[in-house]
Amino acid sequence: MNVLGLRTLLSKEVRRFLRVPGQTVLSPLISTSLYFVVFGVSLGGRMEQVTGQPYLPFIVPGLIFLGMANNAFLNSSSSLFIMKIQGTVVDLLVAPLGAGEILLGFVGGAMVRGLIVGLLTWGVALLFTPLQLVHPGATLAFLVGTAYVFSVLGLIAAVWAEKFEQINFFPTFVMLPLTFLGGVFYSVKQLPEPWHTVSLFNPMVYMVEGLRYGMLGSSVFPPLLGGALLAALALLATLVTYALLARGYKLKQ
Amino acid sequence: MGYTAPAPVATPVLQVEKLVKRYRDVVALDGVSLEIGAGEIFALLGPNGAGKTTLIGAVCGLVKKTSGRICLFGTDLDSDALGPRFQVGLVPQEVNFDPFFTVTESLRIQLGYYGRLPDEVRIAEVLEALDLTAKADAQTRALSGGMKRRLLIAKALVHRPRLVFLDEPTAGVDVELRRDLWAYVRKLRAEGTTVVLTTHYLEEAEELADRVGIINEGRLLLVEDKRALLQRMGKKRLVVSFDRPVARLPEACTGGSVLSEDRTGLVYTERPGHPRAAEVLHALYAEGLPVQEVETRASKLEDVLIEVLHGRAGAP
Repeated sequence: MNVLGLRTLLSKEVRRFLRVPGQTVLSPLISTSLYFVVFGVSLGGRMEQVTGQPYLPFIVPGLIFLGMANNAFLNSSSSLFIMKIQGTVVDLLVAPLGAGEILLGFVGGAMVRGLIVGLLTWGVALLFTPLQLVHPGATLAFLVGTAYVFSVLGLIAAVWAEKFEQINFFPTFVMLPLTFLGGVFYSVKQLPEPWHTVSLFNPMVYMVEGLRYGMLGSSVFPPLLGGALLAALALLATLVTYALLARGYKLKQ
Repeated sequence: MGYTAPAPVATPVLQVEKLVKRYRDVVALDGVSLEIGAGEIFALLGPNGAGKTTLIGAVCGLVKKTSGRICLFGTDLDSDALGPRFQVGLVPQEVNFDPFFTVTESLRIQLGYYGRLPDEVRIAEVLEALDLTAKADAQTRALSGGMKRRLLIAKALVHRPRLVFLDEPTAGVDVELRRDLWAYVRKLRAEGTTVVLTTHYLEEAEELADRVGIINEGRLLLVEDKRALLQRMGKKRLVVSFDRPVARLPEACTGGSVLSEDRTGLVYTERPGHPRAAEVLHALYAEGLPVQEVETRASKLEDVLIEVLHGRAGAP
């Protein structure tokens, strides 16, 4: 394994997004903070408790998830896609870097961005509501697992996309509806049928609830279910991405 | 046209056997076999779309071959695709740059990709060699086109590869860079680096190459030592102008001579089995013809390439 090559790619990926912090860290932080102000502070005061929690702390795990998932996805997808468009992907393909090293390098960089945004979002939440961390281990596992899964999914999107329109397809038409319908701002328990049953097919629901379990100590689903789903998604996404990179799908002629 | 594979080279760093690359209906490489020896400069020549870049891409991991075998430094890429690539550098045809980093940072990243720790001495050396020292801390997006091309070359060389592919390295660059690069390529060869060069500037190949390969429509038409090739296929031309029209030419000139319409100019092309240019000139003087000016021209690689591409010549 080319350990130094992997380390270089990982460090390059982290430095790349840190070069434009306004775009990669500050901008998502402002969006999420606005959610707190609008949904949590303004509307939340008039809402009753959700699953035994006041509304403001209830939405904190979901908003952390939202910021983290979006930014992890956007980092790996935009980075590799831009390399494809600008032609610098040649440097990677010619270098002695295998599919595993390329995967880990991009995913590692994207996870760092996702986790930074997630933790800063948490920091913003602390301005409005006291810290709640009932199960630190579960919280950490769901944070890292979510960042990993969305980083890998971003990489798949970048490998597949050939046009800017295509790279915007996933965040706009897949991730945005699934996250907003994933129980970030409400509990799926509150939904009437058939929406309750429909929501059960949205994997993001289990991730948000898993994080909610870790931070607030209660969730609609058993945390192991969310953990198993996250692990299965991580494994599947990793296998698919590895195979695509090893084949050079849409990367090599 | 018949093609005989060239004799094997002494210590091959690259061996390509019956390499085929097919894109749906298009055959980009049609059974190419080639050996390139350690420390040589090999020029791969051919028209646009001949298969030069595809061949380089297949060796460097940018193109997936359809069939055939590629060995780098004795290792079959089918058994180890990555190991040999630590020793390879590529200057791609298309200019690319990462706008997030400076020139020096780009070189450090390149070193890291090739499993090397940051080496500021080596980076300074490469920057100096490519006249980029003043731009060491410049953002790559701020570089001019020529400077970006220099950076590409620096990136391909910074990890001290044993085999370097230069795919049209001087396309669209000024004469100064071209001359600098030629000097640097010679230095690389002196240090034992093998260089494979594709170029549209045949003057470049003529200046640098030890051996030449001519490829067209995915087929390698010829591989030969440059000097031997020029000697074998190159023709010497004698161009003579006369003070006044000449009535007739000496016998030595018949066959291979073209007299101008006004009969004051003669072009004689040497051919096997015919008198040499010097003998023709001697005969002109011996006949007392009014020779005013004499010029001899040796044919260049460009003439040879055209001959080969038009099927008028083949391998020895």
